Amino acid sequence: MVMMMTKTAPLVRAEGVSKEYRGRDTQMVALSGMDLDVMDGEFLSLLGPSGCGKSTALNIMGGLLAPTSGSVMFDGKPVAGPSRDIGMMFQQAVMFPWRTTIDNVLLPVEVFGQSKKKFAAKAEELLSMVGISEFAKSYPWQLSGGMQQRAALCRVLIHSPKLLLLDEPFGALDEFTRESMNSELLRLQAHTKATAVLVTHNINEAVFMSDRIAVMTPRPGRLVGIIDVPFERPRTPELALSPEFAELALKARSMLELT
Amino acid sequence: MTSALRVRPTKAGVAKVDGESSWWISAGTIVVLALAWELVPRFLDDRTLFPTLSDTAAGLVRLVSAGYWWSDLTGTLMSVVVAWLIGCSVGLVAGIALGTVPFIRTAITPYAIAVQALPKIVLAPLFIGWLGFGPQSKIAIAVVICFFPVWIDTMVGLALPKPNEFKLMQSLNATRAQTFWKLQLPSAVPMIMVGVKHAMLLAFTGVLVAEILSASAGGLGTLTKQFSSQLNMPLTFAVVIVVVVIAVTLVSIMDVIERRVVFWSEESRSRKS
Repeated sequence: MVMMMTKTAPLVRAEGVSKEYRGRDTQMVALSGMDLDVMDGEFLSLLGPSGCGKSTALNIMGGLLAPTSGSVMFDGKPVAGPSRDIGMMFQQAVMFPWRTTIDNVLLPVEVFGQSKKKFAAKAEELLSMVGISEFAKSYPWQLSGGMQQRAALCRVLIHSPKLLLLDEPFGALDEFTRESMNSELLRLQAHTKATAVLVTHNINEAVFMSDRIAVMTPRPGRLVGIIDVPFERPRTPELALSPEFAELALKARSMLELT
Repeated sequence: MTSALRVRPTKAGVAKVDGESSWWISAGTIVVLALAWELVPRFLDDRTLFPTLSDTAAGLVRLVSAGYWWSDLTGTLMSVVVAWLIGCSVGLVAGIALGTVPFIRTAITPYAIAVQALPKIVLAPLFIGWLGFGPQSKIAIAVVICFFPVWIDTMVGLALPKPNEFKLMQSLNATRAQTFWKLQLPSAVPMIMVGVKHAMLLAFTGVLVAEILSASAGGLGTLTKQFSSQLNMPLTFAVVIVVVVIAVTLVSIMDVIERRVVFWSEESRSRKS
């Protein structure tokens, strides 16, 4: 919250963003008229059930999808395609099995045509920050799912992107691993001061992680409201037991029309 | 061509008998087969056409100790290696072209299906007519027979990466060339290796058939034809055994190379465990 007050310029500004898919005689509105500002340095969640257009919105922000109408600005410029200042993480770790863990982490550096040597030290530092430095020379298939996602987290951070777009990054992991990965993510996000947008369908996760929650509902996918989450950082697991936490979770439920 | 079975990838765990008992089964079948080979021809009463195991072994010793066929052996091996190298190169280039350029894929696919259906050995007389009885026609026939699996496996392999993997490369704004070199080609290597192994045996088949068809070419194929036309079955069998030994050796070498190259593929990992 402190950061939001000192830096008010939005890093991402989406205005009237819609996405429609047209079949021969069918029309599907994945996202309808979304207006959303993502502030520099904040952690924002896109919360909603499947089909609410949250992944679509994320892919449009990342320049992987073009909107049918509306515009998205990133860092003051219109988004025309994927940017080096944006890092994306998906539900699967997507590690290449023929590369060692550290070489997977260094993949963006290679694609950007930068020197791998220059970034090797940073890659090792990131791996040790997430506690898997001893697996740097191992192959991803020798690692557990959680460790693979830790490596994927290092890969997305290697080129210090301003914006992290996280599409249910820990959705495929078990509940315990997922919780520890979420704390890891918060710690690294605070450390790198990157802005983060997290797609999730888990209300408690959204409340625990976010500065703000953008609540979305399906048919058609649209943004129905924004919840401010004023809790201090760093956040501890005890937070989830507080009445204020429960109150915000309840508010999200009612906006999702689940109560 | 029974050894071609070994080229196909096997699913992990299927038909896996535990180590000790499978050893006895293998040893048992060998003993039974050897006994049958030794005894059955004695009852058939025609040991000229159907030599016993010991007759064949004697033929093999005679063949190996004689030196006259070394040029046949080296001629065949050279042709196989040259045809295999050309076939793999042609297959790889064709597979990459079809696997990466949609226009070429659309243009070529009907011909590819026709070529796949064609029993390619029917082209042998054409090549012998064009190129004569020498090694050129042997190699040409073998190339035509062996390049196909490399071509198809390369093409299929390049399409193997999952949507998420393409999406990762896209999110990094990777160029098409980068996506090809860093994602598609490495993903395709296990499939390409299968094609390359298959091609090796097909090249061997192609060269042998060409040698049998053009009797003056020399080579192991010509040798079997000569021995069988003399009704010298033990020596014919001896050449067959030499061919089997070479084929098994080639496949084993390829297996070792494959395990080194694609140690990371799910297929090789499941075979190890």
